Amino acid sequence: MDALVSLFRDSWHWAAGTSFGVALVISVLFIVAFISVWAMFGVWLERKASADFQVRLGPMEVGPHGLLQSLADGLKLAFKEDLVPKDADRFLFVFAPAVAFCGAFAAFVAIPFSPAFNVVDVDLGVFFVIAITAIGVIGVLMAGWSSNNKWSLYGAMREAAQLVSYEIPSALALMIPVLVTGSLGLRSIVEFQCMPSDGDLKAASLVYLSPNGWLALYSPWTLVAFIVYYVASLAECKRAPFDLPEAESELVAGFHTEYSGLRFSFFFLEEYGMMFVVSAVATAVFLGGWQPLPWLSINFATLGFVGHLLAVGVFLAKTIFLVWVQIWMRWTLPRLRVDQVMVMGYKYLIPITLVALTMMACYVAYGIRYVPGIG
Amino acid sequence: MITYVRNIVDTVRTTVKGMQVTWKNLRRPETTVQYPREECVIPKGYRGFHTLDQEACILCFQCAKICPVECIEMEADRVEKKFLSWKQFSIDYNKCLFCDLCVEVCPKDCIHMDRRSSTARYAMVTDDRSTLNLDLLTFVGLSDAEQKTVDKIVSDRAAGIVTPPAKPAAPATGAAPAAGAAAAKPTPPAAAPPAAAPAAPAAPAAKPPAPPPAAGPTPPAAT
Repeated sequence: MDALVSLFRDSWHWAAGTSFGVALVISVLFIVAFISVWAMFGVWLERKASADFQVRLGPMEVGPHGLLQSLADGLKLAFKEDLVPKDADRFLFVFAPAVAFCGAFAAFVAIPFSPAFNVVDVDLGVFFVIAITAIGVIGVLMAGWSSNNKWSLYGAMREAAQLVSYEIPSALALMIPVLVTGSLGLRSIVEFQCMPSDGDLKAASLVYLSPNGWLALYSPWTLVAFIVYYVASLAECKRAPFDLPEAESELVAGFHTEYSGLRFSFFFLEEYGMMFVVSAVATAVFLGGWQPLPWLSINFATLGFVGHLLAVGVFLAKTIFLVWVQIWMRWTLPRLRVDQVMVMGYKYLIPITLVALTMMACYVAYGIRYVPGIG
Repeated sequence: MITYVRNIVDTVRTTVKGMQVTWKNLRRPETTVQYPREECVIPKGYRGFHTLDQEACILCFQCAKICPVECIEMEADRVEKKFLSWKQFSIDYNKCLFCDLCVEVCPKDCIHMDRRSSTARYAMVTDDRSTLNLDLLTFVGLSDAEQKTVDKIVSDRAAGIVTPPAKPAAPATGAAPAAGAAAAKPTPPAAAPPAAAPAAPAAPAAKPPAPPPAAGPTPPAAT
């Protein structure tokens, strides 16, 4: 087990040094398996949560409390006929789901699940995640364009416009923690949040005080950044109330109208993968990653393998909670109009984040955390 | 600028408010049930399939008469002026409009269509319309107890014990008493066969054991 831990901890060096191919295969299989299981669980969660909000029961038949319903649906999708419309651009049409899936898929590489479980600790983690998740929109655009269907094209254009608009506030909002911590690495941002006062993580006792606390509670401006990032991330992963790209009542199914079977399921995986990625980034950057409480941290490394599993559990619990809040919002808020989405992005979120960023820069420069003059 | 700030505040406030509403719904218990295995509780006043209290029914035909779509078919004989030998009480649910009139008119309150009806059949789903013509009789002919009473009256009479006779009402043809084992539940007088084929037309009523040789088909009624 310790070997496994060290394998994940040092996978990057290990990969570079010894056998890059083997490391690549293991990492890819790990992520693919994780995303598949997550997507099945996420769909089940969505259906159960929506049922709860609507005073229904949701899936109950397949497996205990319908847990295996997603598996049955996935099997059904896999056996569906694979259709390509006659007038579609065949190459792009076939290629688009893979491209769309790439963004969400690659972002998993950088997510720090625990002090040890992390495929690669990318030094530019935040930057990497922002950049790589934006690849997905290319796949969506390809899908919409190649389908040769007006609904698909409308959906794809909306998605592009929406993503381009909301990348700005979400990236700006992520810059605020970067400003505070002085690092772009996701793991070092988490470590900043659980840093003991003497600054020595390795020597910390099992339970210790960490004066920095979670970044969402670090300062008023980081809280603003958290909220803005969360709202913008809803738009980035096409969740309600920003689900314009696949607005059922307007665009049939948006950019994936013409897709069926496995290709459609790739878009599905992409959507649920993105939900997980944005929530995981929010967890790592703003909510203390694998630490269960703010200001009071646990040194999971002293617990060995069990500690790492616990850390992963805490991280997943927080992430799933954020996903659940996304679902909660979806079943609460009606869909915005196109112009409202644009107004919200450009007129509100971006100025708010810019103000917050400027203020945070001043705070950092003068060593203030909460209120000027007090500390 | 004021509008700008107010918009932000409004957005946050309304979002929180909306999410409170959904949160309240989240905490309510589910109203749906797993239908084929569980059934909804039927509210009071629900109108479904009828039930008939055969003991209480006096065969007054009020329900059949008042039925606006004439979906009630009933047929029975009075035996010894006291008992009803049921032949038919069926309701055709292809016609029935669940107006509740038959229930209201019943003088003995013996027909119901409320939730006393079996809940297992409230769905009224079928793929065969002929199954919607339901027979409400749980027993036909005379019940065992009634049969015994009738037998006793008949045997008493044969033994010369005379119960206070009422006016014999049936316009009997006065057939010979030896003409076969006359049915203890005679067919309606009009349909009474001329003593030849005795028990055959008593249609679905093969329930009671073969009655003893009886007195004539003109039974003086026991009160």
